[in-house]
Amino acid sequence: MNWILRLYPSAWRRRYGAELADLLEEMPATPATAADLIRGAFTLHMRAFLDRVAPRQVTAGGPPMPTHRLQRHPTTSALVAALIAAPTAVFVAVSFLAYQLELPGMQSWLQPFMDGLAQAPRIVDLYLLGAPFLAFLIAVLPLIGLRMERVNGELRVTLALRWRTLNLIVLAVCVLVGGFLVSHLIVEFLFERP
Amino acid sequence: MADRSPSSDPGLLLLISLSGGPKHGHAMLLDVASFAGVRLGPGTLYGALSRLEQDGLVEALSLEGRRRPYRLTDAGLAALRGRLTGLNAAVSIGLARVGNR
Repeated sequence: MNWILRLYPSAWRRRYGAELADLLEEMPATPATAADLIRGAFTLHMRAFLDRVAPRQVTAGGPPMPTHRLQRHPTTSALVAALIAAPTAVFVAVSFLAYQLELPGMQSWLQPFMDGLAQAPRIVDLYLLGAPFLAFLIAVLPLIGLRMERVNGELRVTLALRWRTLNLIVLAVCVLVGGFLVSHLIVEFLFERP
Repeated sequence: MADRSPSSDPGLLLLISLSGGPKHGHAMLLDVASFAGVRLGPGTLYGALSRLEQDGLVEALSLEGRRRPYRLTDAGLAALRGRLTGLNAAVSIGLARVGNR
């Protein structure tokens, strides 16, 4: 029945997993026990989600369990952000190759798509423009640990930043793509508008 | 009607159990079953225990073999006393009202 423990948040499992596995060895493996474990895993994920605003750290006894790591999944966030930003990134990359570097054949290959895009609903433009910024937020939030606590009546706010390579790569792509789009819009607005 | 009795509150049951002295997980399950007649599941037990530890109401002790005992903290004792006093007041009032009918 130990496979069910894999459903638990990884930081929680590192802290309590061995104890819980030890306890399971002393209990009969029944459907009720399995259901209780699954419900417990679900509850912990929900609790972690709801506790996001006020991360706390458990240090007594076993190894430290930074609870805010339960609440955020940086890798998942990075992958979601990458998926959101991907259409814009591809669009910008292909446009750059075709219109800035003027690779042979690219413009004629791309032109039907650009014509279609010109006829597409406004929401498509908005998505292509907004996606890098939305993706940036999704990728960056799990890297920020904001702790708010009241000490002797005073509110103390501390900010901790975490390093996750995948998130940083996605952030860099978002900045590049978003920067390219914004600079392109500015140039178009200032110099190319009749 | 949903069961709001103390027996439906695993955290309270664990605090009561630990007020009798430090215990590891399995001992807590047996103790709760003996005084409350409630069989906590392992997921419920460790979910509640991690919450209590996170709130500073219980603390883990050094491993004893493969088992890690837990004990009540001063804050846990105060919280338990407050909860039981509140429950006791409600029970007393309830019993008095029931007795008057």
